Amino acid sequence: MILAPTPPPATPPPATPPPAVEAPALHKDFGAIHAVDGIDMSLPPGRIYGLLGPNGSGKTTLIRLLMGLASATSGTAKVLGVEMPSRANLARIGYMTQSDGIYPELSVWENLTFFAALYGQTDKAQLHAALELVELDTRANTPAQKLSGGMRRRLSMACALAHHPTVIFLDEPTVGVDPALRVQFWDHFHRLAADGATLLVSSHVMDEADRCDELLFIREGHVLAQGTSVELRRRAGTDNIETAFLRFATDPAPGTGTDATPSPTAQPTKAAR
Amino acid sequence: MSPLRVAAVFRRIVAQFRRDPRSLALLFVAPLAIIALLGWVLGSQGAMAARVAVVNDSTGPGAGAVVTRLESALEGQAGITIDRSVANDSTARQMLKDKKLDLVVVLPADFSLQSRKIDLLTLGINPSGEYAALPAVQKALLSAVADSSAGAALPTIGRATVYGSPNATQLDSLAPVVVGFFAYFFVFILTGISFLRERIGGTLERLLATPVSRAEIVLGYSLGFGFFATLQVAIVLAFVLGRLDIPALGPVPAFAIGLGVHTAGNPLISYLLVLVLGLGAVSLGIFLSTFARTELQILQFIPIVIVPQGLLSGFFWPIEGLPNLLQPVARILPVTYAIDGLRQVMIAGADLSSPQVLLDLGVLTGIAAVFVVLAAATIRREVA
Repeated sequence: MILAPTPPPATPPPATPPPAVEAPALHKDFGAIHAVDGIDMSLPPGRIYGLLGPNGSGKTTLIRLLMGLASATSGTAKVLGVEMPSRANLARIGYMTQSDGIYPELSVWENLTFFAALYGQTDKAQLHAALELVELDTRANTPAQKLSGGMRRRLSMACALAHHPTVIFLDEPTVGVDPALRVQFWDHFHRLAADGATLLVSSHVMDEADRCDELLFIREGHVLAQGTSVELRRRAGTDNIETAFLRFATDPAPGTGTDATPSPTAQPTKAAR
Repeated sequence: MSPLRVAAVFRRIVAQFRRDPRSLALLFVAPLAIIALLGWVLGSQGAMAARVAVVNDSTGPGAGAVVTRLESALEGQAGITIDRSVANDSTARQMLKDKKLDLVVVLPADFSLQSRKIDLLTLGINPSGEYAALPAVQKALLSAVADSSAGAALPTIGRATVYGSPNATQLDSLAPVVVGFFAYFFVFILTGISFLRERIGGTLERLLATPVSRAEIVLGYSLGFGFFATLQVAIVLAFVLGRLDIPALGPVPAFAIGLGVHTAGNPLISYLLVLVLGLGAVSLGIFLSTFARTELQILQFIPIVIVPQGLLSGFFWPIEGLPNLLQPVARILPVTYAIDGLRQVMIAGADLSSPQVLLDLGVLTGIAAVFVVLAAATIRREVA
């Protein structure tokens, strides 16, 4: 069974749908460090957005601001038109944290039912379906601490999606997940998007870029470039997404400037797994 | 406030504990082991035999007769063995050093029947322990000196108390204390560490990403740990108050399970007092976990939070006997009120009509409420 997002309210759709995620001029400082340094984003619903950038580029801080888990130094974050933080709005949002965030002593099933209950989701059939999706249905009674790293990641994802959120933030969801299952994850993400969900997937693995409908290159707390993978590579004048990232990192408008070669100080992204 | 979410947090804590036998042992076995040990140690204190010698340094008239009377009077006292071979003060001192004597009664050189000054000599390394035999020696002295001077016996002194029994042991007065203290200590440590694990394990971040409110988290935690605190107090109270004598069977000697401490009041009121105390400890644990980064740092709160309560709350010494500056400190510690309430109930037999028990319960409830507010306020959306 496929996890479908909750159907949208029965109001007639406006000509241009309002953005699912909006953040005008978002800033977050930690002391002297500008973790998020003036991000403007407006993401229409029903698509998969890839948040690509090296470690420490501000991806997680941005997601935490959008979730309302951190308070912005300036600017506001809106999800589904509601200004965050909003506890009621969290029921419509799914968040898979970078750490697994599951209880090691509890079984797979206990972890899933616990988080689902906090969202008011108690339908057992739906929860079983969520476990099947991440291929943990045969491990329901296994304590989470006895799972492999990849299985814990899968459980973490099931816990984030079991309540059928409309907006989904996934912070490095595929780390430690084997290639075959990774393909299934992405297929599922696309099904969710086709059903109207908006997904923001952070990654430092550039080979996942092509799976996203749209990419946001992020570095040092601001968005370097936004567009489809094809667009961004064309603008950077390269076939390689990693090279494209490095060109945007050194020159905000590559192809128009003179120096398109990556500088040696540019922080390289991790090699694709 | 959603009962469903509170129930989910409660059930999760119970499930987590069921899977954690070591924490269960800390909650249920450790207090019993410590209380049993305490009962054993305190129970044997009276039975320690003291080796006593009487030394006569006086040449005055009547001194020799006093020594003889003293020796025979001491011989009649339980728990005292008398050594008649000690000739003088310096031999006695050497024998104390060699641990061949515990206490020496010295009739000094200026002893006379008019100034009946007698010295007691001990080693001085552990004065309170060395004077364990003092009451027996004093009793013997009184009768011996009185007989030799006037030939008339002094009146014997009997003891009576308003509450309890004059023969109450140290254990009887300590029992209410340990019940309260253990509940506080273990509940605080377990909640503090559990909540810290939420913070560092990333699950708190995840909890805060759900619609659960901070109040629901604190309430769920209070119910979960309150449940275990309730079980713990039930078991500890049963052990302290009950006593099951097991007769000897073959090579196994007879022994007793439980301390059999007499309670004058209703155990349910004792229970209520400890429960309110424990609920405060849950929130205190959540609150203080904000200031810790590792489990070791939670343990660092023991000298700050637990030890002062042990010293100042009336555990060993009455609060009225504390230095003036420390008395107000003792009056803000929750354990102080729990111990006072428990003593009122268990020893004096007070019930809920007693204003003092109501005051204790009220203050404990107030302190718990303050900690609940602090705990809820510090489960921050922004986790450091």
